[in-house]
Amino acid sequence: MAREVRCKTVEEPSLVALAKTHAATPSFKNKTASGSHLSNVHLCISSSCFLSGAGQDVGRSCILVSIGGKNIMLDCGMHMGFNDDRRFPDFSYITQQGRLTEFLDCVIISHFHLDHCGALPYMSEMVGYDGPIYMTHPTKAICPILLEDFRKITVDKKGETNFFTSQMIKDCMKKVVPLNLHQTVQVDDELEIKAYYAGHVLGAAMVQIKVGSESVVYTGDYNMTPDRHLGAAWIDKCRPDILISESTYATTIRDSKRCRERDFLKKVHETVERGGKVLIPVFALGRAQELCILLETFWERMNMKAPIYFSTGLTEKANHYYKLFITWTNQKIRKTFVQRNMFEFKHIKAFDRSYADNPGPMVVFATPGMLHAGQSLQIFKKWAGNEKNMIIMPGYCVQGTIGHKILNGQKKLEMENRQTVIEIERCEPGCCHLSLEVKLQVEYMSFSAHADAKGIMQLIRMAEPRNMLLVHGEAKKMEFLKDKIEQEFTINCFMPANGETTTVITNPSVPVDISLNLLKREMALGGPLPDPKKPRTMHGTLIMKDNSLRLVSPEQALKELGLNEHQLRFTCRVQLQDPHSDPDTLSRIYTHLKSVLKGYTIQHLPDGTVMVESIVIKVSSSAEEPNTKVLLLSWSYQDEDLGSFLSTLLKKGLPSGLSSM
Amino acid sequence: MGETSSVENEFDDWFIESLKIYNNIHEYQLEHPTRVIEWTSEKTICVAGYSSDKNEILELLLPLKLFTDDNQGLCAERDFKVVHGGFSDGSIHCLKHIPGTRYIIVAIDYVTSFCCHELSSSNCCFLLRCVVTNDGFNSNLQVWDLGGEDCDVIKRTGVLQLKSASSDKGVKIAPGLTGDPCVLHGSQISDIQLTELTSGKPLYSLGKDIPDLLSSLQFVSGSVFLACACNGDLYVGDTRNPSGLQNNPAGGREGVHWCMGVKTDLSSSDPSSCSVARLSSACQVVVSDLRDLRAPLFQAQLHVQRKTTSDDFMKVTWAPALDNCLAVSGFDGMVRIYDTASWRPELMEFQPLFIHRGHMMSDDQFDTSSAVVTTHVWHPSRPRTVLSAAVDGSVHVWDWVDKATASC
Repeated sequence: MAREVRCKTVEEPSLVALAKTHAATPSFKNKTASGSHLSNVHLCISSSCFLSGAGQDVGRSCILVSIGGKNIMLDCGMHMGFNDDRRFPDFSYITQQGRLTEFLDCVIISHFHLDHCGALPYMSEMVGYDGPIYMTHPTKAICPILLEDFRKITVDKKGETNFFTSQMIKDCMKKVVPLNLHQTVQVDDELEIKAYYAGHVLGAAMVQIKVGSESVVYTGDYNMTPDRHLGAAWIDKCRPDILISESTYATTIRDSKRCRERDFLKKVHETVERGGKVLIPVFALGRAQELCILLETFWERMNMKAPIYFSTGLTEKANHYYKLFITWTNQKIRKTFVQRNMFEFKHIKAFDRSYADNPGPMVVFATPGMLHAGQSLQIFKKWAGNEKNMIIMPGYCVQGTIGHKILNGQKKLEMENRQTVIEIERCEPGCCHLSLEVKLQVEYMSFSAHADAKGIMQLIRMAEPRNMLLVHGEAKKMEFLKDKIEQEFTINCFMPANGETTTVITNPSVPVDISLNLLKREMALGGPLPDPKKPRTMHGTLIMKDNSLRLVSPEQALKELGLNEHQLRFTCRVQLQDPHSDPDTLSRIYTHLKSVLKGYTIQHLPDGTVMVESIVIKVSSSAEEPNTKVLLLSWSYQDEDLGSFLSTLLKKGLPSGLSSM
Repeated sequence: MGETSSVENEFDDWFIESLKIYNNIHEYQLEHPTRVIEWTSEKTICVAGYSSDKNEILELLLPLKLFTDDNQGLCAERDFKVVHGGFSDGSIHCLKHIPGTRYIIVAIDYVTSFCCHELSSSNCCFLLRCVVTNDGFNSNLQVWDLGGEDCDVIKRTGVLQLKSASSDKGVKIAPGLTGDPCVLHGSQISDIQLTELTSGKPLYSLGKDIPDLLSSLQFVSGSVFLACACNGDLYVGDTRNPSGLQNNPAGGREGVHWCMGVKTDLSSSDPSSCSVARLSSACQVVVSDLRDLRAPLFQAQLHVQRKTTSDDFMKVTWAPALDNCLAVSGFDGMVRIYDTASWRPELMEFQPLFIHRGHMMSDDQFDTSSAVVTTHVWHPSRPRTVLSAAVDGSVHVWDWVDKATASC
């Protein structure tokens, strides 16, 4: 070999999307082995199961992506429909035993809903993961509150064991690294992530994951239409190799927000008009503010006089959060906040415990949203017996909560809690089983903001992905959407079911720097001026060093790498029948080459050789067969092209009419 | 700034008003507007696009909330579900479901790019009327299979080439009500033909040379059908008797376009009981019945300020489960409901019982001048539930409050 160039074979770049549930897959384990693959993306969708709970689909999100040898976990959700091990993702197919730290480069959580972050403490503290967990500031603030709430319901109320503890939630949150919108975060030298606004809930984000020139965008849950307190999802034309979108609502055409709000107002209005009380159990942040803004806006116009209350403590806490996270709300709220606090309402006052017994109509927002404890449950118990009253449940309730029971139409509730003895005055004296009759009107209203089929199309139009991957849907029901996406955008659309593998080929562009000297030299050789549309062959040496590719002249490469130049010569014998003397044959060759190779330096040297550039040609013959000439050609590695050409040319023989001069 | 707030005020006023005047209202936004809404089962409808090239046919499942009378409060499901979808390369101006099957029959107009350019600038509604094609045939009828549980894609299963489709107007269709699946179709009175779907065999054709353009076509019994010409003439035909066609000139005036709505009572075997309402582009409604189609039973001048010059979307329908009520749309962004009980034989102006203005109160672009309702249908059994669509792609499902019962 003439010289040594450090160059690894770059395998055909390919993107592989895998979706597996059971069998432990080795493909995810060989993190070190995959180092030679410049561009492999493995996607392992760990689960996408659904159950129907009071009309709302709740699944569990946990997606593993391997891109360019980096392994990333997207969301770590809990399945709200199971009470056993199945509620957590099955991490055993990342690793059979041991901790996850060595297999994962990072974990990203899209938003604070439990079906996206509920298994986080289990994953990090019980299975074991010490690497970074990325989430936005609002998610970081709200996520532990929800996890603690859920832990209380599961462990304290339902008495389950084998669940994470309060301390585990705290320890888990210590591993969280906050993300800002549109800020590129370098996880390590090669892996970078960037968060985009997703609407949906306060702090919800879509993430772009990038290694080299390849990228994946994961949407989490998103909403393409703004509401009263949040904006619409937005992403730039980042053209990811794969866009992973949730598709829970992919086959729906959503009823307008306006009609949902209208129904809410109508119910509140009707109840207040007939002198009843309205209880709205809410989580402190998000939907509560949205509904407060709605009531505040229309209360006077509807000629309503009844008081509206908001649980104490919550207002301050919520306002505090919204002040911190004002950038996450919509434009109108941001604008108003400059003048005054958007959540200082004219008609909505702080609630006091004693107000619940006041006569006459009223509307109360109280926490928690699932009626499992606290103020909302206390008020519910007081009001449940009166059919004039109403409870409006604006969100999902987990199993085992009073909220879940009444949404399933249960009319008699057993209260096993001792505290309730004092509170339930309506109970017959002497009754040992404390039960509460639900006479008030129960209304379930979903305000959840998800992208429907049109929203998914809008997002694809925005991001212009090269491939589309729909998760969380039922493939059988999405054939039409798949066809539609493939026709409209001429991209591939995948809907991996559990246990299914999808392979995607990509063509990443690999940028190479060319040294100026090399370019100048090429220019000096003449030929047409460089045209970006036409490929052109040029010679140089490729150096792969410090994560960059450079094309330089061989001399420079030798110098940089501190190597000596080796000479490499090729020699070749060509037999020729030519009934002349050796010097005559040489002359005839000289004449022949002169006529064929115009513009080349051809010399007939006195030492009995012909030189074409650096190629040496000698003639010899044996005494026995003087007419059989043996031509000896010798050229250096650099003149390989010309050398091969000459040998081929001379093998054809010399034309007959040549003079020997 | 002041203008915006007045617009916002009008919007909010309607929003507050809607609390009182509707029991339920749902507003959906399709990606592409439809001018057909067809029931395919008790709970599903079909809609389809009418743009010049790529169009979608969607079968939508109505939200559960609309069908639960008890415990409606516990049902939060209020979205349309796309249960089946398909693609069509032409504009769909007419779509009918064949009763008792999973088939729909669709009249497709192919529009050359030349026509598109010329007409789209004036009014998109015109586009549909022009059916010049490069490849030698005009409109055709296509049969599509809505599919079952195993797949959500609607597939085209057949094309009925219309040999006599000489006109440049869209074909009207009426599915047969009884027996083997068959379809009555035509673009002129003289074209009217009954074709068996499975074989494509013509079962009946009208032997008369009446070149009047057809605007509405409907069966009133197993064999008797009504055809309304664009000039307002009504024809009664019987597929058992090709030569017997009864003509009832309505005294239609020149330059006025007419369409028809028929109230059929399929439970009664006597087709003569059905009422026929004809709507003119001059906003008149003439009601007659089959016993004597020449003399109007009663008529009315509607007070409508037309927002479109096109007659394409004109539609009049009888309420199937509400006596004497009919709905009119296609002149502007409203759907008007009239109670014909008070109407008289003399032409007089009458006020509507209810007006649905929702399509003019669009969330995004508040533009009352451009909103035109493309079609509407009644719910077959819920008396005051209507579905309507408009040129902006909106589809509304609404159920208005009956003032008479609400007040007592």
